[in-house]
Amino acid sequence: MEQYTRTMLMLKADLKRDWLKITVWLIALAGVFVAVAAKFDGIYGSAKQINTIAETLRSKAMVALVGTIPNGHLSTALIFSSEMVVFWGLFNIIFNYSLAVGVSRGQEESGLTEMVLGGHPVGRLAPITAAALELLIANALFSVLTGVGTMMTNMPGSNNEGTWLLAIAIGAVGWAFGMISLIFAQLVADSHNVSMYNYAFLGAAYLVRMVTDVSNPDYTWLSPLGWIEKASFYVDNNWWPIVMLIALAFVAFVVALALNVNRDIDAGIIHVRSGKSRSRFLRGPATLLMWNQKSTGLSWILGMAILGASYGSVFNSIGKIVNANPAMQKMMGESGIRHMEQSQLLSYISLLGIIFGLLAVVAGAMVVNRLFTEERRSYLQMVITKPQSRTYLLLTYLIFGTVFAAVVLFVALFSMMAAGNSVITHDLAFKYFWKVFISILPVVVLFISILVGLIGIAPKFRSLIWILLGGSFMISYFGSLMDMPKWLLKISPYYWNKRVPVESINTDAALWMLVIAVILIVVGFIGYNKRDLES
Amino acid sequence: MNKMKEQTILDVQNLQKNFGKVHALKDVNLQLHTGEVLGFIGPNGAGKSTTIRVILGLIRKSAGSATVFGENAWKDSVKIHKNLAYVPGDVYLWPNLTGGQTIDMLLHMSGQKHSAKTDELIKEFKLDTSKKNRTYSKGNRQKVALIAAFSTDVDLYIFDEPTSGLDPLDELIFQQRVAELKKRGKSVLLSSHILSEVEKMCDTISIIREGKVIETGSLEAMQHLTRNVVAVKTVSPIDGLDKAQGVHQLNFTNDQHTSAEFTVDSDQVGTVMALLTKSSIVQLKTTPPTLEDLFLRYYHSDSNQKVGE
Repeated sequence: MEQYTRTMLMLKADLKRDWLKITVWLIALAGVFVAVAAKFDGIYGSAKQINTIAETLRSKAMVALVGTIPNGHLSTALIFSSEMVVFWGLFNIIFNYSLAVGVSRGQEESGLTEMVLGGHPVGRLAPITAAALELLIANALFSVLTGVGTMMTNMPGSNNEGTWLLAIAIGAVGWAFGMISLIFAQLVADSHNVSMYNYAFLGAAYLVRMVTDVSNPDYTWLSPLGWIEKASFYVDNNWWPIVMLIALAFVAFVVALALNVNRDIDAGIIHVRSGKSRSRFLRGPATLLMWNQKSTGLSWILGMAILGASYGSVFNSIGKIVNANPAMQKMMGESGIRHMEQSQLLSYISLLGIIFGLLAVVAGAMVVNRLFTEERRSYLQMVITKPQSRTYLLLTYLIFGTVFAAVVLFVALFSMMAAGNSVITHDLAFKYFWKVFISILPVVVLFISILVGLIGIAPKFRSLIWILLGGSFMISYFGSLMDMPKWLLKISPYYWNKRVPVESINTDAALWMLVIAVILIVVGFIGYNKRDLES
Repeated sequence: MNKMKEQTILDVQNLQKNFGKVHALKDVNLQLHTGEVLGFIGPNGAGKSTTIRVILGLIRKSAGSATVFGENAWKDSVKIHKNLAYVPGDVYLWPNLTGGQTIDMLLHMSGQKHSAKTDELIKEFKLDTSKKNRTYSKGNRQKVALIAAFSTDVDLYIFDEPTSGLDPLDELIFQQRVAELKKRGKSVLLSSHILSEVEKMCDTISIIREGKVIETGSLEAMQHLTRNVVAVKTVSPIDGLDKAQGVHQLNFTNDQHTSAEFTVDSDQVGTVMALLTKSSIVQLKTTPPTLEDLFLRYYHSDSNQKVGE
């Protein structure tokens, strides 16, 4: 037990540092969840409304995105739980990741762990145990807040057990993934790589869940993320998935403990290999950026290719909805059906275009953000004291980020096309995908230019980009489901071309976005040339 | 540029820098001439790094002027940086590069090449250049930056507390390399909070305290700043010590006058030692004055006045 000495003290210190982060996340996660629940009764109260949305949710496209929906009679509460559980599971996992990395590797990197373990009577396993407890507290708070809040909304068709099961399922999946993150934190020695491992694992879990949901939901048990879909909220209220998730969390924690005991401080189980002692390739900021981005870049491209291909591989199922209805088939004739199938597929593509566009912005913005990270971590002082202008530096990151975002978007769309066309009889033409690509590009450029503007004049507020991006995505994604007012929908850049390729591109909107982007970029460059660099 | 004599390489006049309400620099004046090594000393937090960051064009001055090679440090930074090498006090390097790759890249960015001299420096500093930067200690990261700087052929070298992570052997190599730069007519700005380090290498010394340069001069002119503190015990009473040249602040710690504490000018150490030996030394301790001692001793009256005002 000596190994755990002062765990509670560490936990207190961790919470003292993270309380604001936890509070903000909890307000956002639990708050929006309850708000959606409260609004649901109004939108999906009547049987007619339920039937309309049920049809959308039963389409393979939506199943691929948010998971399965039970057969038989649907209630408001059932629609709610099916629509929310996977999505909120994802968000909560992202929250847990950010917390787990900061409290494990992040803390060690900053030298805090060494100080605490080396100079104070704190047990060797106290920091990691405190990390696990902090995550447990955060998730328990989430479950309680959402549970109580959702209960008060009193959705038709809901029962208390189902509501609590839903709230606890999302908390449990977050905790389990957070605990797995603690394993990765023992394997590699820096927080950036821990995050890479985390998201690779989450990506794999999501893909397995998606593919199995669409093809054969029995196999969804293969993915821990899929377990939460199996709880049968409000119908059977199956608690097994919760038991499994908590067991998984415990096993992961024990593994992390075992790995932690067997490694040195500041080191990872996976050793850092030596490299070449000379370089001809590295010549300046541009080549340096390429070098630093190579593994992240390849992971993104590979990940987006897999994601695109997985969405593409269900193209045939998406057409089948129409095929399944013989009366309709007869009525429309073969060409009519093909037309129907195609328009179904095209709306699927435009929906996915928005998601790929969101991810492309994340990929590009992370590159541009790097410039500020390097400034804050004092890497930049070695470069900027060479004969390189600030304009050149910012331009390098801007161009690289934009091109990278475009490449990532292209890869996702066209691997979807390749995989999709291989499973359907009548290929979808290249031009449809190309149109989506062209319509999303201005949005990507706009978001990246917002970040350039922020880094130039107010780097403290650069995280605003993620709030804007998340907000825009939420508005376009939930906007129509939630019956939001039109003006609110129009705020999101994604709104303007969300019907492409079914409709043609709104060039006016695209041009406006580009004009605003150019202005923001100019402002950013002027600001960047005028401000003090941090150290 | 080697042939230009006594040309001003670096000229800082009445420099001020405010961070919001904090006046980090109040009045900084520095001049560095061709072939000169300028020591820039002051306690931690006095404004050494801030001054250097203004000189490098990383941050903007609030008032005054800073010119390097006669060019504006902020506006013409790119031009200035072509002819300058800089080693920061805390060296942070991209974790995924090896030390060797970092050195080659830094050289390339200055328009230089990995030369025989680079290899010589790597060998001398005993740096394993195939290791990733993330595995290096603070001292090793500093070595990477020093190797790149010393094998860069430029006119001005700026070192900001460069030896804070080095062991004594590497410190010696550093001192030799600075001497070599000086021999080749290069100009060096060396900031430090260790007086003895600056003493060994610098022609001119500027002292900064609380954002103000309070004294500038040659080492000889500042001889009074480099007194050693001596504590001694002898068998017989030390006679004549109070009259000996270069002895200050004498204080006998016993009535027999066989135990004393005093300070002595560096150039008088020999004669004073001879005097002490006559009384048979039992115990002797000398310590070079710390900067804090100096400030306390020489600017005490100054702060008293402030209190009185």
